[in-house]
Amino acid sequence: MSTIVGEALGAARATSPRRAGRRRLPRPKLSRRGKVEAFWFWVFISPWLVGFVGFLLGPMVASVYISLTEWDSFTPAVFVGLENYARALTQDPIFWKALGNTFVYALVSVPLGLAVGVWLANLLNKRVRGRKLFRTLIYLPTLVPLVATAMVFKMVLAPSGPLNDLLGLFGVHGPNWLLDPTWVKPALVVMSAWGAGGATVLLLSAMNGIPREFYEAAEIDGAGPVRQFWSITFPQITPIIFFNLIMGLIGAFQIFSQVYILTAGGPDNASQMVVPLLFREAFSFYHFGYASAIAWLLFVVIMVFTAIAFRTSRRWVFYETEVR
Amino acid sequence: MVDMARRSSRAGVAAMAIVGMAALTACGSDSSAQEGEGGVTTLTMTVWGGDTDKKAYQERVDMLEAAHPEIKIDLQLIPGDQYEQKVQTMIAGGDGPDIMQVAEGVNVYSSKGQILPLDEYIASSGLDLEERFGPVGDLYSYEDQVYAIPDRSGAMVVYYNKDLFDAAGLEYPNADWTWEDAQAAMEELTIPGEQWGYGGAGWWAQWWSFAYQNGGQIIDDSGKPTANSPEVVEALQWANDLTHRHHVVPTAAEYADMGPDMGGDPAFAAQKVAMNTTGFWAIGGLLEADFNWDIAPMWRGEEQAVTAFGSGLAISRDSDHPEEAFTAIDYLTDAEAQQVIIDTAQDVPANLEVQQSDAFLAPEWAPEGLNMGAFGESSSFIFRAPFIPQWNEMHAAFDDNLGTFWNEGGDAKTQLDAIQTQLESVIR
Repeated sequence: MSTIVGEALGAARATSPRRAGRRRLPRPKLSRRGKVEAFWFWVFISPWLVGFVGFLLGPMVASVYISLTEWDSFTPAVFVGLENYARALTQDPIFWKALGNTFVYALVSVPLGLAVGVWLANLLNKRVRGRKLFRTLIYLPTLVPLVATAMVFKMVLAPSGPLNDLLGLFGVHGPNWLLDPTWVKPALVVMSAWGAGGATVLLLSAMNGIPREFYEAAEIDGAGPVRQFWSITFPQITPIIFFNLIMGLIGAFQIFSQVYILTAGGPDNASQMVVPLLFREAFSFYHFGYASAIAWLLFVVIMVFTAIAFRTSRRWVFYETEVR
Repeated sequence: MVDMARRSSRAGVAAMAIVGMAALTACGSDSSAQEGEGGVTTLTMTVWGGDTDKKAYQERVDMLEAAHPEIKIDLQLIPGDQYEQKVQTMIAGGDGPDIMQVAEGVNVYSSKGQILPLDEYIASSGLDLEERFGPVGDLYSYEDQVYAIPDRSGAMVVYYNKDLFDAAGLEYPNADWTWEDAQAAMEELTIPGEQWGYGGAGWWAQWWSFAYQNGGQIIDDSGKPTANSPEVVEALQWANDLTHRHHVVPTAAEYADMGPDMGGDPAFAAQKVAMNTTGFWAIGGLLEADFNWDIAPMWRGEEQAVTAFGSGLAISRDSDHPEEAFTAIDYLTDAEAQQVIIDTAQDVPANLEVQQSDAFLAPEWAPEGLNMGAFGESSSFIFRAPFIPQWNEMHAAFDDNLGTFWNEGGDAKTQLDAIQTQLESVIR
């Protein structure tokens, strides 16, 4: 055990890039101070290590096995191989419906949230009166617990609720948001836009970090505000947009509370998403194996989308330190 | 020097191990059934509910502990929406409660051997289920073995707003009403957009009553789903038409406009609907109401039938003291302890003797002349709902296919055909 730990320790201390290449050489001995430091390193990191191994890695490994069994959580698990995966992919229309719904939700809500976030951040970046107040107001929704937000939205989205009243002012007859299979997903998207303030704050700080000289130079060259935005602001904040895109995608694919509270997946599974579905399979139907299989399928989906995002990021994300 | 590094890393490992052990022992510590000093057995008991339930159960447990000093009960009240998951987790962790409250989902546990068959205990204690509980005595049976003793059991009843009925000059609801009578009254009591005759039958307990009144069954006696039989189709269509064709029930949209989580119960309390069919629990919220109301047995179709709500007490397989647990259950379901259920206005006690007692028929807290006999009258025509092990999945099949149907109207036959197909794949 101590050798493994020691090795990891050595790796952790290999800070110089030159040293990384020479793997075969014997590890340099630690100085006395280094050892004391190492000791405290392990003391301080251990709660997280224990937490990670015990509460994350362990359950994850276990769920791989569970996904290959039929298990009701009471009686011993029966090994069934890949049957759960086959059932989800070939025989369960509700799984496909939930996956489709989750795709729609993620692929609409994430870009929309980013667009709203960038727009708001750009507005807040202007030197307007009461800027601080606006910033606070826009970030405030993020601080409200999701459950409370959902309860409020139940009223906002009511057939004769404030949102439809607002639409009525423009002569639009609003739908029965949460009761209509066509409109229940857009309703969830609307609610997700409510939380765009979280991204806004990050984007705003990125915008504040852009050197003023860029804009001054652009102005001298005759660039207008739009041109300045697309040629300076946007490229400079792409790393933050990228970060928000990844986090947003992961979060959107894992949507749970909103569905659980607002619609319970209804009507007729029109708003059923993958995580609420697997929760229902595990804790209501006692199909832990099947639920675990769904969890891993979702994991694969999220990995694929994250990988795509990373692949394409080279083309549009601009890191100043990496100018090629 | 080298030693020191080793020691330090070892210390780290040890620290990790200690934390890990602490976590493990915390999970594994078995506090459920311990033999204390003086031969006192401590039993855990899980129940669901809110403050009223807590009060009622605690009072009964106190009585039990006084009568049986050798038993101590550790009562755990769990909010209803988390109850199944919590108990499931306890059982899966090998630390199931000794006594647990069960209801429609009882056979999830009995079919998997997670609760004990009680026939032997019943026989040796000389308890007569039929005598104590009447027709619901063997309600919680699975494959001819009894798995839980009835504890609470009350039929669904019709709540009606006397003031609105009087104003319309209508006869009050009663058990002899047919669907036509009920619908005629609902139509009289409806003022479009303002007041409705009935709270609706979108909940399974409600429209299933109509299905069984019509001679239908959701699951037949041999255990096969019969959800799309003509009788069930007709009943479901009627229930839906009340909303979307006759407009005597608020639509989902109209309910949503009244506020979040609006339904028949709060709408009745707000005098928005003149009649509502639900269980005993609605009484508590109406005691302070500033209008006159009463309850009546459910109306009838071709035959009389009504859903009952209830729960029983079971012993989990993990219990180290099943005998003591049964003694406790026996005491808790006996007349003396059951009277607490009605005294605290919690529910209808399953014990017949109490149901027929003055304590039940004229409780102190009840408004003058409240027809508590409605529950007793209903008990003769309660239908036996199919408590199949796949109870939750069965309901998901209904929910998955009836959402739009209830919200916007539709054809009952089409939906029930889809449900039947889904049920056939669930119930194998």
